[in-house]
Amino acid sequence: MKALVVDDSRTMRRIVARILQDLGYETDEAGDGQQAIDLLEAGEVYDLACIDWNMPVMDGLEFVMAARARTDWRAMTLMMVTTEAEHGQIVRALAAGAHEYMIKPFTPDAIRDKLELLGLIPAEETV
Amino acid sequence: MSAIGIFDSVQLTAIAEEVFAAMVDGEPGLLLPWWDGPATVTDPLHAWVDLHASYTGRVLLTTDAATADDLARALLGMDAAEVVSEADLVDAFGEVANVVGGNLKALLPEQGKLTMPLVSRQPPSHEGAFQLDEVLLAWRGRPLVISVWNL
Repeated sequence: MKALVVDDSRTMRRIVARILQDLGYETDEAGDGQQAIDLLEAGEVYDLACIDWNMPVMDGLEFVMAARARTDWRAMTLMMVTTEAEHGQIVRALAAGAHEYMIKPFTPDAIRDKLELLGLIPAEETV
Repeated sequence: MSAIGIFDSVQLTAIAEEVFAAMVDGEPGLLLPWWDGPATVTDPLHAWVDLHASYTGRVLLTTDAATADDLARALLGMDAAEVVSEADLVDAFGEVANVVGGNLKALLPEQGKLTMPLVSRQPPSHEGAFQLDEVLLAWRGRPLVISVWNL
């Protein structure tokens, strides 16, 4: 399975990517929503995108809305991974089309649990 | 509106402990209140984010550059022999400030905006601002100061 990690913080991209790689994912990284769009437009296909909210150029919510507007990207699961913890923000993200929402800070187990709920643990990692 | 009464030292400490346990250390107990008398931060590095709601404030983290270097190494899963680049140091310490600030923002009674984190060896200007709270913590025995300001 393949995942795209979208975050303006290189540190956070590496943390999330490492967790996903330990679960068996191949990962790509993008520093903002526009870079993520560019990868998708170039033909990359992802099972999962983990998306920060606050980013320059194109933020996470804009990316979710843009991705959901494209029927050919519908198979990609969108999970916000963000410090935006207010209930209203969570509702906005889910209403825009995000499938799941993870608040920073998170543990590797918390990400694994969310992905298990979504049926997105690569086959060789499931017990 | 002011943040007085919204944030307190207990909440600030609890948020910092949670952030470090989850993101930095992978276990609780390595970030603790500082009990060892006055702490001196030599060669300080500062990271901060500003909160904009009906209240405008700032969350500022200060520690020694060497401690921030180890913090970046822990966050990035680097071993002791690897050199932390300036870009990684700035990004990692800024992200810790971002996550602490974001969790404090969630305590506000209304939605607000968080600025991108800034990191500098010079403290930010606090002209006209006043400090609301400060906690002195020890990460692996070394001082980390978190302060909240009303701007």
